[in-house]
Amino acid sequence: MRISIFILFFLFVISASKAQNPVFFTGFFPEASITKKLKNENRINFKFENQHVIYDNRSQDLEQLEFRHYRTDLMSFYDWRLNPTKSFALGIFHRFQEGSDANRIIQQFGLLQRLRNLRIAHRFRTDQTFTKGEKIEIRFRYRLALEIPLNGATLDPGEHYLAISNEPIISYQAQDFELENRLIFSLGKLIQNGKRLEWSVDYRTDGYVEKPFRTRLWAKVGYFYSF
Amino acid sequence: MKTIRNLLLLLFLLSSISVFGQDKVEREVGIKQKQVPLEARKWLKDAFETVRKPKWYKEFSELGYSFEAKFKLNGRFHSVEFDSLGKILDVEIELEWEGLSEEVKENLTSHFQGTLQGFKLEKIQIQYSGLPEDLEDFFDEEEIDGVLIQYEIEYQAEDQSEVIRLWEGTFSSEGKFLTQRRIEVREIFNLYF
Repeated sequence: MRISIFILFFLFVISASKAQNPVFFTGFFPEASITKKLKNENRINFKFENQHVIYDNRSQDLEQLEFRHYRTDLMSFYDWRLNPTKSFALGIFHRFQEGSDANRIIQQFGLLQRLRNLRIAHRFRTDQTFTKGEKIEIRFRYRLALEIPLNGATLDPGEHYLAISNEPIISYQAQDFELENRLIFSLGKLIQNGKRLEWSVDYRTDGYVEKPFRTRLWAKVGYFYSF
Repeated sequence: MKTIRNLLLLLFLLSSISVFGQDKVEREVGIKQKQVPLEARKWLKDAFETVRKPKWYKEFSELGYSFEAKFKLNGRFHSVEFDSLGKILDVEIELEWEGLSEEVKENLTSHFQGTLQGFKLEKIQIQYSGLPEDLEDFFDEEEIDGVLIQYEIEYQAEDQSEVIRLWEGTFSSEGKFLTQRRIEVREIFNLYF
């Protein structure tokens, strides 16, 4: 059922994009995250993300779906727990992308709000990306994420939840500014404490300043494990 | 290319199967009013006559289950818990610090400042418990006989190893410390990383 909805939604967006000039591509986006809680209450996180394009409106043959590797990202964070609801993390990142392999360092502050029926997570990030042959790219990011339990007032093991997040990103590179936005709707399940599975639609837009305007739509499936 | 495509499809399929094959041990689910024992519905109607549509939840644990009604009344959040047969257990009402009596504030301040490092107040609830008829008389006619009053307070404070944790403390009707237990905040790595 869920896969059918994804396919219908993708076909709708694909057909709509053909009538427009902006760049559009879409595909699959699996991700996996493992977090180890240390004895001193801090955490180490490892994450893998992979993006495969199945449709690109710049392709020669628009009627033919493709299956092309776009990028694979590996990253790791050390997260200092400041108190039960706040943490600060430093991360390193490597991207495998044809002709654009990159390295990145990341600084992050996270803040959790616990309300009666939902939880709100604020994530403030800055990062610096180093790509061969390009000037350093500096980005400022803020992500607001809501986690809403679908059974009862609190999320318990075995239950589903809805996660909605939006993240505007300002980037600066070679004296040029750019804007990007990432909107994500996820249906998740807390399988048991420390194990989550999420299916998401990830809608990314950029090129607001430097044309062409670009949209990327990803069907994500993510596994999050902590121990 | 085909191998990667097959692996991705397999990941989607496996993820769907694994999600529908899990057991649920401890959880709380929203239920309809008609699924609640008549005794609980009747008690709530008698004690809180103006409450029209409370939200009902069924709480499962390894010991069994209970029912809980949640609603807002006179600007305050109420939580009323019943056992599996519909007998009232307790009523909890959220309060602001300003809503406490001077005696309670003094005793709480003395405890928090005297014994806890890194203290930060999170939430205050006043809890009423007792026999069903005594509780009903209290909420209906403000008769306090037979009603036990306590405070449940959530706060952040350091533990013995100087790590700031979240606690739920129980205090007497005068604000004197009785017990405390640690609250585990569910990790949200999916939202941070």
